[in-house]
Parts: sequence; C-alpha cells; structure tokens
Amino acid sequence: MGRDLFFLIPELTLAVTAMVMLVAEMLRLPRLVLTLGLVGLTTATLLTLSVLDANTTVFGGTYRIDMLSGWAKLILLPGTALALLLARAELAGQDREGSVYSLLCLITLGALMLAGSGDMMLLVLGVVLTGLGSFALVTFPRDDAATEAGMKYLVFGSVAGAVMIYGLSFWFGGTGSTLYSELGQLEGRPLIAAAGLVAVIVGLGYKAALVPFHFWAPDAYDGAPVSIAAYLSVITKIAAIFAFAQVLRDLPVSTGWPLAIALVAAATMTLGYVTALVQTNVVRLLAFSSIAQAGYFLLGIVALGVSPLALPAIIVFGAAYVAMNLGAFAVVMIAGRSLDDFAGFGRRRPVIGLAMVVFLLSLTGIPPLFGFVGKLYLFGAAIDAGFLWLVVIAILNSVLALGVYLRIIVAMYSRVEGQANTAPISRPLAVAIAITVIVTLAMGGFAGILPS
Amino acid sequence: MLVLILLAPLLAALVIFALRRAPEVLALFAAALGLLGAAGQMFAVSSGVWSTAVLPFLPDMPIRLVATPLTAILSLVVATVATFVLLYAVGYMRHDPQRVRFFGTMLLFVTAMQGLVLSGDWITLLAAWELIGFASYLLIGFWHDRPGVAAAATRAFLYTRSADLGLYIGAFLLIGVAGTSEISTTLATTGTPALIAGLLLLVAAMGKSAQVPMQDWLQRAMAGPTPVSALLHSATLVAAGAILLIRTAPMLPAGALVVIGIVGGVTAVITGLIALAEKDLKRLLAASTSSQYGLMLVAIGAGAPIAALLHLISHAAIKSSLFIGAGVFQHDRDGTGMESLAGAGRARPGIFAGFALSALALAGIPPLAGFFSKDAVIAATLASPAALWLVPLALAATVLTGAYMGRALRILWAGAAADKTEPAPLMAAGLGALVVLAAVLALSFGPLERLLGVDMAEGGLLAPVLGLSAAISGLVLGWLITPARLLGPIFGFAQRGFVMFGGMDALVARPALAIAAACERLERWLYDLVLGFGRLNLSLGWLAQKIDTKGIDRPIFGLVRRTINTGTRARKLQSGFIHREMALAVIGMAVIVAVLLAAPLYS
Repeated sequence: MGRDLFFLIPELTLAVTAMVMLVAEMLRLPRLVLTLGLVGLTTATLLTLSVLDANTTVFGGTYRIDMLSGWAKLILLPGTALALLLARAELAGQDREGSVYSLLCLITLGALMLAGSGDMMLLVLGVVLTGLGSFALVTFPRDDAATEAGMKYLVFGSVAGAVMIYGLSFWFGGTGSTLYSELGQLEGRPLIAAAGLVAVIVGLGYKAALVPFHFWAPDAYDGAPVSIAAYLSVITKIAAIFAFAQVLRDLPVSTGWPLAIALVAAATMTLGYVTALVQTNVVRLLAFSSIAQAGYFLLGIVALGVSPLALPAIIVFGAAYVAMNLGAFAVVMIAGRSLDDFAGFGRRRPVIGLAMVVFLLSLTGIPPLFGFVGKLYLFGAAIDAGFLWLVVIAILNSVLALGVYLRIIVAMYSRVEGQANTAPISRPLAVAIAITVIVTLAMGGFAGILPS
Repeated sequence: MLVLILLAPLLAALVIFALRRAPEVLALFAAALGLLGAAGQMFAVSSGVWSTAVLPFLPDMPIRLVATPLTAILSLVVATVATFVLLYAVGYMRHDPQRVRFFGTMLLFVTAMQGLVLSGDWITLLAAWELIGFASYLLIGFWHDRPGVAAAATRAFLYTRSADLGLYIGAFLLIGVAGTSEISTTLATTGTPALIAGLLLLVAAMGKSAQVPMQDWLQRAMAGPTPVSALLHSATLVAAGAILLIRTAPMLPAGALVVIGIVGGVTAVITGLIALAEKDLKRLLAASTSSQYGLMLVAIGAGAPIAALLHLISHAAIKSSLFIGAGVFQHDRDGTGMESLAGAGRARPGIFAGFALSALALAGIPPLAGFFSKDAVIAATLASPAALWLVPLALAATVLTGAYMGRALRILWAGAAADKTEPAPLMAAGLGALVVLAAVLALSFGPLERLLGVDMAEGGLLAPVLGLSAAISGLVLGWLITPARLLGPIFGFAQRGFVMFGGMDALVARPALAIAAACERLERWLYDLVLGFGRLNLSLGWLAQKIDTKGIDRPIFGLVRRTINTGTRARKLQSGFIHREMALAVIGMAVIVAVLLAAPLYS
C-alpha cells in the first residue's frame, strides 16, 4: 500500500491542491487560488521526475506507472499551468473566477487517470471526471451561445458515455475481468472484441473529438471562453489519445482494430482540414484544426506494438501539440475571434504576430519547429507498421493544412488602415506565450532528450 | 569547414534580424566567409581528406553532414553564386525599405541550401528540403503587397510541397529497407525497393526542378525580386531536384532511369517551346530553366550523372548572369515585358555584351562553358541504351535553346535606345564576375572529372558536331524568324503554357476542387438522408407538438406559446441539430462495426 501511494505522489499532490484551491475559493481569494494551483502543478511536475523511469502498476494492475503515464504527467501538468495563466488573463476579476482554476485542476486529474488507466473502471472514471468539469467550464459565460454549446456537449457526452459503458460490459463478460491486461483472452472472439472496441472508440473518440464524434467540439470551443477552449482542445484530447494507447496496446491485433483506427484517422484528418478551410471564425478554425491534429495522433496509435517508434511518436507530438496549440489560442485571445480581427495584426503587434507565425508553422509541420519533429516520428511509426496509404493521406493533408494556416498568416500581414490597437498585454498571457513559443522553437532541436 | 559553411550565413541572418541595420555588409561578409569555407572544403577534399560532421538531433537520427567530392563541388557552386548574387542585390535593393528582411531571408535560404547539399542523412536532407521550400516562399512573396505576388508564392509552395510527398515516402522507404538513415548506406538498395524509391524521388525532383507537368509555378515565381530569381532559379531551389537525383543516381535501376530521362526530355522540349513563345524576358528565362533542368534529367536518365552535374554547374553561372542582366534592364525600363525592353540592350552596351555572352554560352557555342556541358549531355545520350528516345529530345531542346536566346538578343538589340541610364557599378560587378565564370568554367571540368574519379566517355566528333549545329541553327532561326511563324499553329498553345499539360491546375487543383464539391454534395446528401430517415419520427413529433400548441396551448396558454417562439435557444435544440449529428455519429459507428466484423477476412 505504501509502495502504491509512493508512485501516486504526483496525482495525490494534484488532488490535494485542487481541494485546497476549492477552500481558498470559498474564502473568495482568486489570486490565492491561482497561486496555489500554479505551485501545486509545478510541484507535481517535479515530483513526477522521480518516478519517470518506473515501469510498474499499482493497486492490482488498475493504474499504470509507465513511460506513457509518466510523460503524460510531464506534458499535461505544465500544460494545465499554462491554461491557468490563460484563464487568469481572460477571466480576472469575474465572479466564480477561482472555481474555474480548481475545476481545471480537477479535470487534469481525470486526464491523468485516463492516461494511466490499466482498467476499464478507471477509464470510465476518467471519462466522467473530465466530462463533468468540462461541461461546467463551457457554460461558464452563462449566455445563450455557451448554454447551447454546453447542452450539446452534455448530450453528446451522455450518449457516448452510455455507449462506452454498455460496450465495456461485453469485454468484462468476455474476460471476466476489468483489467486491460486480460484483453488478450479476446483473441478469436471477434464479436465480443468488436462490441467493446466500438464502445471504446465512441467514448474516447468523443473525448478526443475524432470524426464522426466531433460535432460538439466547434460549438463548445466557440461558446466557451477562449482560454477554456484552449484547455479542452489540448488536455482532454491528449488524455484520450493516451488512454487509447493504453487500451489498444493490450488488445489482440487480430480483432482488426488497426484498420478501424486508421480509417477513423484518415476521415478525421481530412474532414478536419477541409472544414477548417472555409471557417471565418478563428476559434472554429482552430477547433477543426485540432480535430485534424487528433487524426495525426492516430498515426502513432495504429503502429502500437509493431513499431518501437509508436509510443515516442505519440509522446513527442503530444508535447509539441500542447505548446503550439495553447500558444495559438493565446494569440487569439489578444487578436479576437474573427478572421477579420487578424487583418494587419502582424503589423500592429510584430512580436506577437511572429509568435503566431511560429505556432501556425509548427502546426503545419515546418522544420525545425517542434511540430515537424512530432510529425516525423508519427510518419515513421506508421510506415514501420505498414500503413503507407495512411501516411500518404496524412502528407496530402498537411498540404491542406498549409492552406488553412496560411489564411491566417496572410491576413496578419495584409496592409490595412486600422486603429493601432496596442493595449498592453496582461502579464500572465505574455508569460504563457513566451513559454509556448520557446518550447515550440527550441524543443525541435533538443528532441534528443525526449523518450526514444 | 562544414560547420563554417553552414553557420556563417545562419549567424549573419540572425544578427541581421536582431540588429536591423547594415544588412548589406553583414550579408556580404557572411557570404564571403561561406565561400571561403566552401573553397577550403574543396581544397581539403581534392587533397583526399573527406570529412563528416555529426551534430546531435533526434535520438538515432543526428544531423549528419558529409564532404565528398560531389557535395564539396555543389557546395562551392552554391557559395559562389550566392556571393555574386548578394553583391548584385546590394545594388538592386538599394532603395528598398525592407532590405533587412530581404538579406536576412536570403541568408537563411543559403543556409538551408548548403544544408541540403552537404547532408549525409535523409532526415537532415528532409529538414533542409522543407526549409528551402519555406524560405523560397518568403522570398518569392517578398513584395507581397503587389497584386498577384502572394498568390504566386503560395502556388510555388503548394506545388513543391505536394511533390515533397515523393521525397517523404521515398526516404522512409529507403530508411526502412536499409535500417539506417545514412544516405551513403541506403544507396546500396537494389531491386524493387530501389525502383519504387527512385520513382518517388523523381516525383519530388519534378516538383522542385519544375518539370512537366509541374512547371507552371516557376514562371509565376518570377514575381519575386530579380536577385531572388537569380539565386533560387539558377543554382539552388530548382537545382535541389536535380541534385537529389544526381546523388541517388548510383542506386537507380534501369527502369527508373528510363522514366527520368523521358520526363526530362519531354520537359526540355515543352518548356523550350513555352520559352520561345513567352512575352516576358524573366518568364522566358524561367521556362528556359525548366528546359535546362530537363536536359540534366536526360543526362541522369542516360546514366551519366556527372554530365548532369557539369551542366548544372555551367547552368548555375550562366543563368544567374542572365537573370542579373535582365534585372538591370528591368531597372531601366520598369518592367520585363519584351515590348518594353526593345532596344534596352543598345542603351547599355556593356551589360548587353555580358548578357549576350551568357546567352551564347547557354545556347552552347564554343569555347563557352555551356558548349562543353551540353556536349557531355549529348554524348551521354548517344551512349545510352535509350538513345532512340533521348537523342532527338536532347537535340530538339538544344535547337530551342538557341532559338529563344537568339530571339531575346534580337529584341534587346533591335529598337531605339532612347533613354540615358545611370551607371550601376555593383550590379555590373556581380554580372561581370558571373559572366567570366560562365565563359571560362569549362577549364575546370577536366579536374572536376578527375576528382570525382569519372572518365567521361569521349563520344568522338559526333556529339559536338550535332550539338553545335543544333545550337547555331537555333540561334539563326531565333534571330531571323518570329516565334509566331516558327511555331505555326502551336504558337498560341505554347504561349498559354500548354494548358493541356498545364501542370497542377489541370492535374491536381481542379480535381481537388471537384472532390471538395463532391464532398459537399455528399455531406448535404447525408444530411438529407438522415433527415429523410428520421422524417417519420420528426413528423410524429411535429404532430404532437401541433396538437400541443394548437389544441391545448393556444386557447389556454397563449403566453407560453409566445415564450416558446421567442426562446430561440430551445427551438434550435428542438429543431434536431443534435439528432442529426447523433445520427451521423451512429452511421460512423456502423462503419466501424462493419470494418471490425470483416476483420477475419483481411487479417
């Protein structure tokens, strides 16, 4: 027991932090809530380093302490800290500000459970924990758009969750256990395997916003505050991808899951970018772009168990994605939601404009930025696994991606007679952008320290 | 040395962007340093010292730079042309307020190009390849405020990036087969993988070297400043494709060679025709670039990559001096349209002499460099097993080269030299140096061949005689006869850039748009389908609602009804958006179930 708890120190730190934050919120001290959150997240990140090399499970195999969950913590915890800064910049002074921070930390706790789950019950718990907090955050503005978005999100989430639990019960029936490690018993029982697998794809696909379970995402992101959209597009998505990796690692390949996932990946990438091409609302554009990026993640998933590059690919692209996507959303917070707001933006604010160019190019996958390194790993992994056609689709889509992101860049440097709106940028936002831009720029060169 | 070649331009670019002043001095200094490094490298290699530099990057995938005779020669070519073009650019860009951005980006481009040339590793090459594409996008779109420029830059980027697909897959295929990303090791690949990889690399090379049917972007890229055209479209960006094939030539099996040769030959002829019909001097030069790279591909296809290399080197010097000359005339007449340039040469006899010398060199008149390299290409085609195809194509391209250069010379010379011109010493200096190179470069060919350890097959007298007669007849035709009469019925066709072969517009852009339209229709159809599917339910719901509102609500709760009508939120939710989307999700689930159930059939 003591041993198990030792390995859970980062999670426990986060849980305690979130609780203390709630207490501070009751005292109406939003700044204290924020500080507590940042300190707690930093501490949890540092504590993770001590268990990073472990490869074990705790509580009877239900929770995994391995490379994937360790790096999930190293990616998601700092990512959440950045999201706190973004939220502070957007919501400072509003009523219920502190509760947003503590909710963000609680959702991240659920995300960590997803990323480390070794058991179906934990998977369900993670989906529910991340879901409940997310619904509340999306409806934070309490206006019509947010309410509709939250409602939609909730309905989709309930249906997807119900389907997932129903399907998982088949796996339980088939193996007599809720542990992933027993899934090997499903070899040769295609019907049961398929029932559970569809359920997992629905439940996690909804969480990661994969096509065709993505419909809630653009509305939810657009209705929610931009900082919340940034958080949802990054943290819960990566958690769901990592959870995919944890489940599918143990599922026999003979059930045909790689092809099913590959088809979902192809549809997700293509539909995401094609739809993004026609958006005029930058938040919706980024929403569709993050749908497409989720498809790229799946290139690593299909290679699980076949290519040694698969796990590093998911982790490296995950880290890159957190930095570049959060950064892009942060710039949207400054510029505004409409593509018209970006007209001439790069001329009015040269530094922030340059940062946005870096984020967008990294999302496209231009070397030597971090996103390129991640995509390189993903392509390598998928080719290793024999999914050449999928990589062809992925590369064709990155041509589309260029079109999507260039639309913003071109607008940013068009010549417009406009008011020189150069109100100072709040400090948390500046810090967040600085960190994300440094990571996006520099980590490409230091990718050697990442797992291999 | 290797590091100096790369770091000098890179650091200078960063310093330029940081300081934002004195970009010319820094750029020239860096270019000179890079040239020094490349020359030292060349010296070291020629005295037998090959070196490798490995910089840590991705785990198991370091940045690997190698100096072999081939890479050292190419690096020296790039450094030389870059230096002279930058020298010229100092004059050309003198009045431009954006000089900092210009010189910074140019140096970044040079860094990327040197990285590509010297790379000893597929991953390094991929990264450099992408960087080149991106830097060229910035440079072509340098004057992005002018109409059409941004579109041209985007088009160039999209074309070459689509073709990059070939490089990615080809490189990963080779890495997968050989188990290492080191280029020299992967070149030992044989059999079917080598054939497939070779064809894939050809696709990438076709994009970058503007081969038919992807030639269109290069002409549009002329929207950039002239120094950009001189640098990118002579020795660097466009050369990347040919360099890729030259470097992988030892691996290419006969099947791939034949395809490469034919692609090159067809390009050489078609873009030659386009050049002849062109109405703009810079676009003429651009089309001619495609054509000359076509000839290089012919040489590679004929199994003589060294002949391609020689032609690449001489073309680099010749074409950059032609572009530079064109840029001087462009400054005088504010344009590069053939009509506005009439007589521009007469106003500047010195510049015209340099331009004419380069033009004759390109046409292949002895003793200029172009004669010897073209001779090597033709000799290679004569010795090739596919001579039947390649020789006529190469000769036709040579005639066309003479013809369009002759025509350009005539237009520049004939006509009134009305305007008086201000002297342009820096531009003239850059031009002069390159013209001298273009003229005497041939002297270096012998030592180069020895260094590369290749003895070019001496084709006897047949090749030079064929080449020379083709070149002279082309020059005479071009000088005497207008293209409209020369080309006859295909003139208009060529002038429109052979819309039938019209490159990506027909092959990729339009189908892509059609697919997009089809997708939209499909999506609408899906919605309709789902809608129809659920119509029964919905109408039942409507019926219930009607009974509710009409039978009960209106008489009794009229107020409530009005509230419902104004509550747009609620209405929107009831109108079935989520239902529809849920239904789509269910269709998706059904597809996944079908795939999974079919698993025993394919796994």
